[in-house]
Amino acid sequence: MTSDADLRSQVSGWLAENWTPGLERGAFLARVVDAGYAVPRWPADAFGLDLSDEQAQIVEAEFRKAGAPGSGQDRANLWANTLLTYGTPELRASLLRPLLEFRVRMCLLYSEPGAGSDLAGVRTSAVPDGEDYVVNGQKVWTSGAAEAEFGMLIARTDWDVPKHRGISFFFLPMDQPGVQVRPLRQMTGESHFNEVFITDARVPAVNMLGAPGEGWKVLQTALMYERAVLAEANQGASIRSGHQGEVDVIDLARRYGRLDDPVVRQDIARLLTLRTVNRWNNQRGQAEREQGSSTSVASLGKLLMSTIVHETGRVQTEIVGPEIMLEGEENRDGDQANFAAMNAYFTSIGGGTDQIQRNIIGERLLGLPKEPEVDKNVPFREVRRSG
Amino acid sequence: MTFAFSDEQQALRKAVRAFAADHSDEAAVRALAESDLGYDAATWRLLAEQVGVAGLLIPERHGGAGAGTVELAVVAEELGKQLFCGPFLSSAVLATGLLAGLAESAEVADLLSGLAAGTRVVTVALDEGAGTWDPADVTSVAADGPAGWTVSGSKRFVLDAVGADTLLVVASGPRVFAVDPAAPGVTVTPLHTLDATRRQADVRLTDAPARPLDGDAAAALRSALDTAAVVLAAEQAGGARAVLDMAVGYARTRIQFGRAIGSFQAIKHMCADLLVLVESAYSAAYYAAWAQDGGAADAHEATCLAAAFCADAFAKAAADNVQIHGGIGFTWEHPAHLYLRRARSGLALLGSPEADRERYLRAVIERSTLTGARA
Repeated sequence: MTSDADLRSQVSGWLAENWTPGLERGAFLARVVDAGYAVPRWPADAFGLDLSDEQAQIVEAEFRKAGAPGSGQDRANLWANTLLTYGTPELRASLLRPLLEFRVRMCLLYSEPGAGSDLAGVRTSAVPDGEDYVVNGQKVWTSGAAEAEFGMLIARTDWDVPKHRGISFFFLPMDQPGVQVRPLRQMTGESHFNEVFITDARVPAVNMLGAPGEGWKVLQTALMYERAVLAEANQGASIRSGHQGEVDVIDLARRYGRLDDPVVRQDIARLLTLRTVNRWNNQRGQAEREQGSSTSVASLGKLLMSTIVHETGRVQTEIVGPEIMLEGEENRDGDQANFAAMNAYFTSIGGGTDQIQRNIIGERLLGLPKEPEVDKNVPFREVRRSG
Repeated sequence: MTFAFSDEQQALRKAVRAFAADHSDEAAVRALAESDLGYDAATWRLLAEQVGVAGLLIPERHGGAGAGTVELAVVAEELGKQLFCGPFLSSAVLATGLLAGLAESAEVADLLSGLAAGTRVVTVALDEGAGTWDPADVTSVAADGPAGWTVSGSKRFVLDAVGADTLLVVASGPRVFAVDPAAPGVTVTPLHTLDATRRQADVRLTDAPARPLDGDAAAALRSALDTAAVVLAAEQAGGARAVLDMAVGYARTRIQFGRAIGSFQAIKHMCADLLVLVESAYSAAYYAAWAQDGGAADAHEATCLAAAFCADAFAKAAADNVQIHGGIGFTWEHPAHLYLRRARSGLALLGSPEADRERYLRAVIERSTLTGARA
């Protein structure tokens, strides 16, 4: 095995030879994949180097230091990891490398109008037909659907077993007449997501990940990688185009002559406290991971972040007073306060509502029992649905 | 490194936890809550001898351990979980911290040695009824007469004053004086405290003989109060953890409607929110402790934040614990109210969360003005 120091100098040497900032990304990524640095933890027959996690982190650290893209995808590339774990040999041969070179755009086809928090209740169907499956249904909250070449799809292939057992997982080709994408407008006026209408769309059977009926298991793996990606991308910070992230509430209060108001001061201090404490929680989670002690603190961040973004909207609202009745570019402060208050739901609903999050914390971290599930052992066909 | 406990710190935690389990179960706490003194002097001495908690802040040359705020926080957290009754905060933290910050006279050295051994209990008489614990609000006066120094004034909320063999009285200036509570002109009147596991008294001083302790009293008080604020925050984080564990344990086993009540989302979600609060309180208390020990630029800011956050978190957790327990939680026989009493007192002890938040915000604004950094 290569020593850590040798590995470090190998990688930095390779980077010195192959990377200059501003380099054309596609060509560079192909070289990263050839060198095995894209997925150093993966086996050698799958573009990897078979490295331990510790050594892979050395590779990633060298890439970070150089500001070079493409490494650490064995942790952070949701699509490639899911494909490697569950894909057929045919699908892996055709898509693994393009995914690692970021040449294939992907989207997620999970949620449906009737299956949000209860994702296992999907009703999009996939029926075998020759070498293909034929798919019918409707998906929602899909970002990047218009540009995507494939969508990771969960669809029901068996209606006569309980809900978790009748789902299969596919890479659905998006560029076909049976797949129609329509932008979805959010309450803030923005459009980050789409609805996807699927009518007699075809997906080759080799594009199924895992066995028929094993889709829920594949989905759990995919969700795990998605959470890893989100955690890295500092999730919760959906930044509005043209806006500079978070508003400085102290500055806002000063401009509105409210910085001497003791009520406003308490509210600002509470908000800044929550932001700070969340940062310390994350810092602590990392320290505890590095020490190898088990930690639950990281799993609490999403719920805390949800409180923070809602409180941010509330405090901005409190400070700007009647301006809250206005929006638009000419009413910047009111507009930003309203945007903060409304966009907060992006965090408290998206990626698992606060209520589902509390269930997860209660059950997995505190060991509280689950609610009885009335649909648990019932063939999905017989499960009650809305409307 | 912040949040990485050393082997010694972990061993200290283990020792304190074991001691508290042996000597501070519910029956012991209830008995002490009904006792005259509010704690058992022999148990306190034993804790000092066996685990050295009384001498943590004291330099090694006086028989102490020369440890820092993180160690104090570890002790406070574990004692707080068990509602341990004893003069840790009053004597081992506040008084010891104040003495350690003053000039080292023979008297100070003698007091510190006795404190380290656990044979002395010393307490600070600072607040005069406003509940600010702010030396600037002190009106007690000291006079240098023919028979030596005397102090006069009226102190309130003096922790563990009954049983203390020396009072550190803060007079305006501020200046710090050592006063013998048995001396003429000193009246110590126990207060009827909500939290019977931590006692307080009024101390009235009328031309009471006093020995001046030299040094930068303002700086020593600032430092001791900051240390005590973080120690109290850690104690509150520990108390909050204990009541959450109590609530979750009950929610898992209490059956109504044929189900454990913790399976109902109404209860489950309360517990989940409390976990966020409890873990965050822990992070806040220990971040502040490490910031103090490392002399970090944000140490004071973090201290004020932790003081406010942990006091509120414990009060909320202790209150929700009662609610989750339902009827049994409302009874005297159930321990929920013992924690609620400790938690509610914590909303005023050493100052209020509102005042701490205000101090925190002032520090943040000052920093952002100085550095141009965004808040």
